[in-house]
Amino acid sequence: MKKVIYTLLTLTIIGLSSMTGLIAQELNGREIMERVDEYSRTTSDSAFNRMQLSTCKFGIRNSKITCAERPRVKSLESVGKNYGLNLKDTKSITIVLEPAAERGIGMLSFAYDEADRDNETWLYLSALGRVKRIASGSSDDDTEPASLFGSEFTTEDTETGKLEEYEISTLEETTESGRDVWKIEMIPNEERARKSRYSRTVSYIDKERFVALRIEMFDQYDKEVKRLLASRIELVDDVWIARSLTMMNLVTNRLSNMAILEINTGIDIDDEFLTQRTLTDVAFRETELAKLRGQVD
Amino acid sequence: MNRSLTIPLWLGIFALAPVHLGYAQDDVLILGDDVSFDAGFGFDDDLFGDAFAEEEPGQLSAWLENFTIKISQQLSGQTNNHGVDLAPGLSFPRESEIETNRLALNIRYQNAFAPGWLLQGSGQAKVYWKDDYEYKANGDSIDTEFRVNELFIQHSFDQHSLKFGRQTVVWGETVGNSVLDIINHSEFRDFTIIDIEDARLNQLMLVWDFFGEESNFSSFVNLYPEFNPASVRGSPFFFEPEFNLTDYDRDGELLFEFGTHWKKSFEGSDIAFMAAYLYENQLRYEDPVLGIGDAVAEKNDFILLGFSANRAIGKLLLNFDLAFSHNVLADSFNFPGTTSLTSAINLKKDQIGTSFGFEYAINNDQSVSLGIQAQMLLDEDEGLLPGQTLINDGVFGTWLVRYSNSLMNGDLVLSSTLQGDLNAESLLALFGADYTINDNWAINGQIINISADDNSPLLFFAEDLRVGITVTYSY
Repeated sequence: MKKVIYTLLTLTIIGLSSMTGLIAQELNGREIMERVDEYSRTTSDSAFNRMQLSTCKFGIRNSKITCAERPRVKSLESVGKNYGLNLKDTKSITIVLEPAAERGIGMLSFAYDEADRDNETWLYLSALGRVKRIASGSSDDDTEPASLFGSEFTTEDTETGKLEEYEISTLEETTESGRDVWKIEMIPNEERARKSRYSRTVSYIDKERFVALRIEMFDQYDKEVKRLLASRIELVDDVWIARSLTMMNLVTNRLSNMAILEINTGIDIDDEFLTQRTLTDVAFRETELAKLRGQVD
Repeated sequence: MNRSLTIPLWLGIFALAPVHLGYAQDDVLILGDDVSFDAGFGFDDDLFGDAFAEEEPGQLSAWLENFTIKISQQLSGQTNNHGVDLAPGLSFPRESEIETNRLALNIRYQNAFAPGWLLQGSGQAKVYWKDDYEYKANGDSIDTEFRVNELFIQHSFDQHSLKFGRQTVVWGETVGNSVLDIINHSEFRDFTIIDIEDARLNQLMLVWDFFGEESNFSSFVNLYPEFNPASVRGSPFFFEPEFNLTDYDRDGELLFEFGTHWKKSFEGSDIAFMAAYLYENQLRYEDPVLGIGDAVAEKNDFILLGFSANRAIGKLLLNFDLAFSHNVLADSFNFPGTTSLTSAINLKKDQIGTSFGFEYAINNDQSVSLGIQAQMLLDEDEGLLPGQTLINDGVFGTWLVRYSNSLMNGDLVLSSTLQGDLNAESLLALFGADYTINDNWAINGQIINISADDNSPLLFFAEDLRVGITVTYSY
């Protein structure tokens, strides 16, 4: 669960420009989603990102969805790198930039792919005055999905892998937002269903770009309870990225928008940066962040 | 106001955020056909488009971004009209009254002004309005207070970091009542501050951190050790002493504290060893010579050796601290004019203490923690005259239980704290609610109830029921 920001990118980075429609047309639903998963791991390695999470109650006016209140905004900066066998372990660090009340709070996470290894998390609060270890359990703990940063995105929405726990099929080939898409249905198996809030999901995957343009999530009564919409799809470093994702909760009438303001992959990240020092030594952290920014400028 | 709430709040935000109640299908919004989601998704894609606006901050706004400002208005008071029975036939009246009515401005500045360099500072200004105890102590007129908290400059290079200025050093794993968290002095001025995180005061130090590949060293020299301030006149903790309590008179004497801390992290665990030469934060007060003038404040230096460790097992975190103190005053809480205690026992003894406990995440919303602190003087009877006793004999200490529940995607955090002493002589129960209205506004409410028996120092507060509310604006 502790990949947090790092796995947020899963939803956004799901296509490589080198993927062509010719190759894609031969894939079945599972193969498409496997490819999506594979690419998401590739693109999330050695990444340096800045994003903004905005959440509000929404209303519909003149067929337009609008915020009915001033959005709550969280601004975050994160750095992550994959380690271990097949680069399936992740070390990441996330710093809160906004809101002011949470500014400077930092979290260091080591997420292990092996089910029997507990993830490790350390938290730094200036008020606490020291780095504090948090007991976070393992990725495969039988836990309920949790909201990310108080938004409508949950850990389940952002999880990578676990495709073997789903029955995956292509419902149809259609268009969405003027793009050719596959409409792919994912139904969790019995074990997965116990952890999931959704009885099924339907994803609209761009055939050429391998980007989910829309995902519908259904509850146990087969009512659509959440809908994800992607926009601002851009080619960045040979990777198709949806830089704006909006998750609408149709039960609470709240929506959250995730705006990927900066996304940089393939960055040379010093291993020392992904240590507890970065949480406490602000002079070091800012110097290293400046170096990372320098790589992408 | 209540930093203990910060951790569960943070847990709610970051990792253990709330679980939605089961979806009720009748409540589901059915999006009408007229709401189109193609070609721009039917809603203005720029709903949050400002986020992408490439805006180069001006020099002024870039400078202002280094500031975090918090303004809070606090109102709290004792609400239970009752009397405290001090002796048969002698009852001390406790009337309901407002204790705090104050506006606080907290400013924090953090600026990495050059590669490897950081300047950080924070300070506060307070205005004490009508009915605040500081207002009353000021002759029923509005009072103000200004204070610099932290102010240091930091330089980091290679594997080293040097910090010079006013700062805090925190040792120990147990949150809230660690026996090792004694480097900085503290001030528990009233019942709005019950957590060490809020009470800790900054001191002028030079701190050197070395970040090795396998472990870290952190060493400090305190260039101007300070002591816990005496109670502020008018505060709930203030009792009129026979002699005025003053700060320690240095008389040109140079005092230093120093210590070092070694820490290593393993998978699922952190351990640390530490050693320090310190002065006890609490001064010992003695009656003035000839009974004239101010009380005499005495300091005491001692040596601290410590070990701390934690172990994470799934969602359970175990904490352990161990402290050995050489040459602490056997009887440091000695106030002038309190004749029962004037037999100042001027003995130095060794003391061993431990604090341990656990933190457990029940689920995504709820967490519970327990901390126990226990200390004991070694050879406690040695050197005592016949009939003399120590204030703290045998094993003494405190325990602390905290529970928090995060609701509404972390916007509302309910928490409760129970705190007592190991002799079961007193119990402090706190219920708190933190509600985040939006990114700027937050409101906190708390209720504190105190129970104490005749042997407890909290006897005067027995059956007190305090209610407080704080509204905060931050940007």
